[in-house]
Amino acid sequence: MFIVSFWAGFLIITFSMPAIADAADIGNCLLCHKYPGLSRVDEGGNFRLLYVNEDIFNKSVHAKVKCEGCHPDIQKIPHEPAKKVDCLTQCHIIEPSSEKKFSHKDVADFLAASVHAKLDPKGQSKKYPEDIPTCKNCHDNPLYRPLSFFKQVRPGISEAAIGRCRVCHKSDEFIYRFYNHVTTRLHKIRNPRNISEVCAKCHDDPEVVARHDLTTRAAFSYGESFHGKAAHFLDERIPDCLDCHVKPGESVHQMLSHTDPNSITHPNNKLNSCSNMDCHPRATPKLADYKTHAEFNLAQDPVQYYFQVFFITLTGGTLLPLMGLMFLDLIRRLFPNAALKRSKKING
Amino acid sequence: MDKLPEIKIKNGKKYFYKFTPIQRVQHITIAISVLVLVLTGMPLKFYDAFWAPYIYALFGGIKIAPVVHKIAGTVLMLLFCFHLIYVVYSIFTDLIIPLNRKGLLRVGTVLKSLLTHPIMPSFKDVRDIVDLLKYLLFLTNKRPAGDKFTWKEKFDYWAPFWGIVIMVSTGMIMWQKELATKLLPGDVINFALIAHSDEALLAALFLIIWHFYNVHFSTSVFPMGTVFITGYLPEHLMVEEHYEYYEKVMKAAGLEHEMLAPDGSAVNESKQAFEAAREESIADIPGVS
Repeated sequence: MFIVSFWAGFLIITFSMPAIADAADIGNCLLCHKYPGLSRVDEGGNFRLLYVNEDIFNKSVHAKVKCEGCHPDIQKIPHEPAKKVDCLTQCHIIEPSSEKKFSHKDVADFLAASVHAKLDPKGQSKKYPEDIPTCKNCHDNPLYRPLSFFKQVRPGISEAAIGRCRVCHKSDEFIYRFYNHVTTRLHKIRNPRNISEVCAKCHDDPEVVARHDLTTRAAFSYGESFHGKAAHFLDERIPDCLDCHVKPGESVHQMLSHTDPNSITHPNNKLNSCSNMDCHPRATPKLADYKTHAEFNLAQDPVQYYFQVFFITLTGGTLLPLMGLMFLDLIRRLFPNAALKRSKKING
Repeated sequence: MDKLPEIKIKNGKKYFYKFTPIQRVQHITIAISVLVLVLTGMPLKFYDAFWAPYIYALFGGIKIAPVVHKIAGTVLMLLFCFHLIYVVYSIFTDLIIPLNRKGLLRVGTVLKSLLTHPIMPSFKDVRDIVDLLKYLLFLTNKRPAGDKFTWKEKFDYWAPFWGIVIMVSTGMIMWQKELATKLLPGDVINFALIAHSDEALLAALFLIIWHFYNVHFSTSVFPMGTVFITGYLPEHLMVEEHYEYYEKVMKAAGLEHEMLAPDGSAVNESKQAFEAAREESIADIPGVS
């Protein structure tokens, strides 16, 4: 298996390098942005690194998008400070099924109907709208993460599959990009640990949790469960935040509040989530009542908290006296015949 | 099986029979299964610790280690069931049948012999603990004279006994959560997790600190007591911890004249006379005693 993986890895490196080395840099932006030190301090006093690593960018999901696709305000070189990227820009490539220019606008619509909308259902601005996430709060420019059914050890491009693509498709650049695009989308683009880290940015912030009357530091309490711990050890099959908070088959941007009757996390629907065929098909309604986001603290559940205190007390109450005896024993062994009161009778 | 001798003499040293082969097999089984359980459980409890991924990787990481944990847990559970059968069988053969032969089989006599069994906690244990404290606090040079099983050994037996009941029941609830929640509310899994995780830490620390000190690191036994393999306790440990039982066994074997003193020294008349004389001479020196 190791040898197979080694050669597969070797082939990937050898073949993929020239295949995806052509950049979307028609405007020759890398003339300047290829230099690792390219940076400046902006008007707000923030240090901005403006370097673009071409190798990394070419392995990302946006590799085919021209620089101007996301930065349409830049028309000439050298250019003025660029505006912030708007992900809803009708930007870059033609979406093949509709043959229209592609944009992420549908995502914005999903988001506007979700628990993460800036406006409430009545169209009023929610409290603390600045806490509501926008695209870039959760997303960066992720790298392709191709899935392979042929490779057991780790995901990656399968040369066996690529070989079948080559039967009909002649351009290796196309084959690699298409393979990457499809197989990356077939599974999670981030592993469960990364997902929980993304959500943690807001949902573990005690101030955000308090401001929005949330009941738990979500990623922290997820991390205390077996799911979270398995995710911590990089298990890919374990459910992350999105698996239980979004109906299977829907966009993760359609996340609803647990108070919404349509939400998968609503008390009436939770069981459907747990009893998913891939998870706990024999789950009972009582199992779905299990407190998945247990923090074991006084504020959240006093009974669980004192139950824990009982065990901690038992541990301390058992071990400290025994360790005291051990300590005294160690000293006593240094002076075996040093009792303060010598016994009259020897051997007595 | 032939009954093994109470006292075995090898290279001029005496060894005292303590654990039967079946007890030793049970001990080795529990030792190995608990070590595996601790090593595959603690990385999950302390998932953030720097050592956690390394220990976990030793057992196959997140895909395999939980399976190893369940196998070891099953071994421990089966051992516990076996032990319960063993205990009932022993009570039957060692207590009830002899009582029946004597025609003394009554609820009262059975209860009495159960409560006075060497492994049962008794008032003597309290006395021994007080005596031990006196010894440790330099109030006397005399160690408590333990019986067949000292309070430490009874603790080592009964603490895991309760521990296994907790660990196995809560472990089974979490393993068979679908089955458990047919009857019990979902919250029980939260409580099972707390109990399993915290009791595990207590048990692991108890074993590693207390039990390992007594059987590995104490200067009397370092680097390792061998009774759990051989079944025989060397004489110096018998004298140090079980003097009362030592006297009984030596007298029963007719070896009173070879008995060592509680401090481990050989007892004979000339030595006693010498020590008595030394004691007096010290008392004569002004300012001493």
